[in-house]
Amino acid sequence: MPPVALDRLQGTLDMLVLRTLVREQMHGWGIAQRIQLLSRDVLQVNQGSLYPALHRLEERGWIAAEWGTSDNNRRAKFYRLTAKGHRQLEREQSSWADFARAVSAILQTA
Amino acid sequence: MLSLPGTLRKLRFFIQPRALERDLDDEIRFHLDMEQEAHVRAGKDVAEARRLALRSFGGQERYKDESREALGLRFLDDLRRDVRFAARTFARRPGATLITVLTLALGIGATTAIYGAVYGVLLAPLPYSDAERIITVWQHDKRTAGSREDLSAPNFLDLEARNQTFASLAAAEPFSFDYETPDGAVRFRNARVTEKFFSILGTRPLLGRTFQRGDYVTGRDRVVVLSHRLWMNRFRSDSSIVGRTLILDSVPQVVVGIMPRGFELPNREDLWSPKVFTDDERQERAAAYYAVLGRLRPNATIEAASRDLNGVASQLAREYPRTNAHLGVSLVPLPTQLLGGARRALLVLMGAVACVLLIACANVANLQLAAAVRRQREFAIRSAIGAGRRRLTRQLLTESLLLALLGAVAGIILAQFGMAAIRAAAPSDLPRIDQLSLGGPVLLFALGLTVVTALLFGLAPVLRATRLNLQQNLAADSQASTSGIHKRRAGSALVVAEIALALVLLVGAGLLGESFASLLKVDRGFRAEGVAAATLQAWSYYPTRAARIQFVKEATARLAALPGVQNAAMTSSLPLSDRIGQESSNLTVEGTASERDVRVAACTPSYFSTLHIPFRRGRNFGPQDDSASPPVAIVNEALARRYWPAGNAIGRRITFAFLGRPITREIVGVVGNMRHDGLHADPPPTVFIPHSQGPTGAVHLVVSTNTGDARQMIPSIKRELSAMNRAMPVSDVVTLESLLDSSLRERRFNLFLLGAFAIAALVLAAVGIYGIMSSVTSERTHEIGIRMALGADAAAVLTMVLRQGLLMAAAGVAIGLVGATLVTRLLKDMLFQVSSLDPFAFLVSVAVLFSVAVLACLGPANRAARLDPARAIRQD
Repeated sequence: MPPVALDRLQGTLDMLVLRTLVREQMHGWGIAQRIQLLSRDVLQVNQGSLYPALHRLEERGWIAAEWGTSDNNRRAKFYRLTAKGHRQLEREQSSWADFARAVSAILQTA
Repeated sequence: MLSLPGTLRKLRFFIQPRALERDLDDEIRFHLDMEQEAHVRAGKDVAEARRLALRSFGGQERYKDESREALGLRFLDDLRRDVRFAARTFARRPGATLITVLTLALGIGATTAIYGAVYGVLLAPLPYSDAERIITVWQHDKRTAGSREDLSAPNFLDLEARNQTFASLAAAEPFSFDYETPDGAVRFRNARVTEKFFSILGTRPLLGRTFQRGDYVTGRDRVVVLSHRLWMNRFRSDSSIVGRTLILDSVPQVVVGIMPRGFELPNREDLWSPKVFTDDERQERAAAYYAVLGRLRPNATIEAASRDLNGVASQLAREYPRTNAHLGVSLVPLPTQLLGGARRALLVLMGAVACVLLIACANVANLQLAAAVRRQREFAIRSAIGAGRRRLTRQLLTESLLLALLGAVAGIILAQFGMAAIRAAAPSDLPRIDQLSLGGPVLLFALGLTVVTALLFGLAPVLRATRLNLQQNLAADSQASTSGIHKRRAGSALVVAEIALALVLLVGAGLLGESFASLLKVDRGFRAEGVAAATLQAWSYYPTRAARIQFVKEATARLAALPGVQNAAMTSSLPLSDRIGQESSNLTVEGTASERDVRVAACTPSYFSTLHIPFRRGRNFGPQDDSASPPVAIVNEALARRYWPAGNAIGRRITFAFLGRPITREIVGVVGNMRHDGLHADPPPTVFIPHSQGPTGAVHLVVSTNTGDARQMIPSIKRELSAMNRAMPVSDVVTLESLLDSSLRERRFNLFLLGAFAIAALVLAAVGIYGIMSSVTSERTHEIGIRMALGADAAAVLTMVLRQGLLMAAAGVAIGLVGATLVTRLLKDMLFQVSSLDPFAFLVSVAVLFSVAVLACLGPANRAARLDPARAIRQD
């Protein structure tokens, strides 16, 4: 199946980033890899577009950033989910579920 | 959306933009390196890995830009860029920028200085709590309109006891204390106040306490509260003075408190002491010299209080007909009482300076318009590349704001000087004028003014720049396009408005000037040059009548013997001064007609010659008029004419009281009128009696010199009087000229300021005319060239340009005349013997304005006339 470009679905990208950061802190490259991995390469993030998204999320207070050292001893900026971010993720997940259900209901009856 | 860490981050990145760039670069570099390494591990070579990494990342610049926008920094970035661009634009044309900034500095600075005065005098909160509820209470004779007098002790006490609308009332009695210093005795002005005085005003003392109940017992009332000014000047702000004892009037008094700065009621006294009424004072219903104020009950209105107190006054009129028969009560809220007098003049000045500011803005707007025309191409290109209308507007407004801020900084420096000048030149009775400062509220006003100014003059070029037709401006290589006409019309309209405003200011200043000149020319009725006066309160030092008569005789003789002295005399009522000894009395003429409020003064015979007061009829007092001989009086013409218009006042009898019961005196002389209360006030009807027949202790010794400068006599006068009686303080020795000067101070101040504004407006308008005519003639160069080629000579061109300029001036003058006739009505109270529509002032102003307009047009007209027609035709 051809890859789906995520750039346009801004809100979706935000939600995926938040979800990725639920368990652990990660730097930007790690987030990109994780999203690609988990979606089994269906979702291709044009990698650069991740960064405006990350900064936007940071500005909204849903994630927080800190400079640290990566596994291979490089200086990298790590992001983590904040309490506000947790709450936002829950909100987004439930509204996404509603959205998905509604769309598939229509598609099935049509 | 506005979080603290977010805002801090924004601030950090605004100050250090490169830090942000480094941050973004580092993050992206890390990502690319990681991606590259992953590809290398998958077997690609380094160069291929790098290429793949870059490709899968996408456009770096674009994402960096989006990141900046996401961080909300785009706005600040643009702002910084706008400011830098504006600075470069200014640097490219330093001359124009300088003129603009100076013009703005003049407008903003002058307006801020006047606002500083308006704020300091009128708007700053008074140091009394809830001042609107504090009411000053006056009594007035219902038969005389507009009179206002102090109350007497019994009247006050009855009002206090019988009123129902005031929470409390208090009275203040003017008094004085003599204080010994190493340099001789000095006199402090004192107010003796009743118990509720300080609590009504509600101001907490700076140090110590005010009076309490226990102080209001005779014997325990030897306490004083000092004013801030006295504490600062005389006791060097020494806080240990609280609790110390001062010897005042030879009695030890304990200082219990100091009041804060600005607490100056009832009359800028130096200190306060407690007032305990004696039994005698409780009976003296006619002795009216207490200033009364009170605080209204929470639910009472001032109208209700007025009805209430006037009801009590009517009761008192019935109970004490001899003294209270026609007395009513008037109430004035404290703020109005203190500040009302200053309001009119200050608001007029504020209006005038606003005109100057508007003219300055108009000039700057014109300059900006001219610049906008020059920058047409620049705007067209920027539009073509994609700068939206909003972007261009933001750029231009940023430039305007920056210019305005620069002008404001220079203007505030100017305002500092301006306010210092105002403080120095202003009449000293302008309330709180000594407390003017460039404080918070004034600076805030300056800031707001700057923004408004920027919008005012910035809007013009913005409207012009964004209304342009893109293609027309890119293609056109001629500046004489249709857009030029719009600019010309707008610019001319602005200059016409400037001329109108300048005319209004000129007329106003002219009227004030004429008024001042009439005032100076008026016949004073007495001589002020070369006369000095020393004021003494001789009562306590010469307790008997005989002692006072002797003292005055000796003092005048000794002073007359001083070198350089022409004449010396004594009077109890000094012209042009509000001082002690002003007596007015009810007068009965020959047992029938009666006159209220006639001035009565006691003087020595040489008084009239010392002040050059001419005799019209009869004789002067002489040595034969003493305490044993028949009582005599001299009246002035005003009195004589009122009662004996056709005939002779000499020999008539009048009855009045001075220092005791009324007695009948025979008029022996009539003297000329004196403008006693000031040059603007009509001479009051006055009666003089010889000091030997009315030995008051309120003594003004007047000394005239034949050397011309009375100031030089002052030290020798002081010395002589000190030698006579060391313990007696000689409070003020001044020259009559300085009193005259003080009385004119307010008018001079208003004239000076309004004149300065008129001149500033004139200069700015001239600059405006010059500017617009220059640009108009340069636009018409082509046309002028053609005319010259067709036969017009230099004179014709000159006339053409001048005519255009004069038409503009005429339009401005016409509008200005209409405006002036409406506006000068506001000046009526400030004018003396001059109508607010005085044709002379109007004509002169119009003439001046036209002359200035012609002069301003000469430059451009000359340049136009001297054009080389061949080159002019080729120019476009």
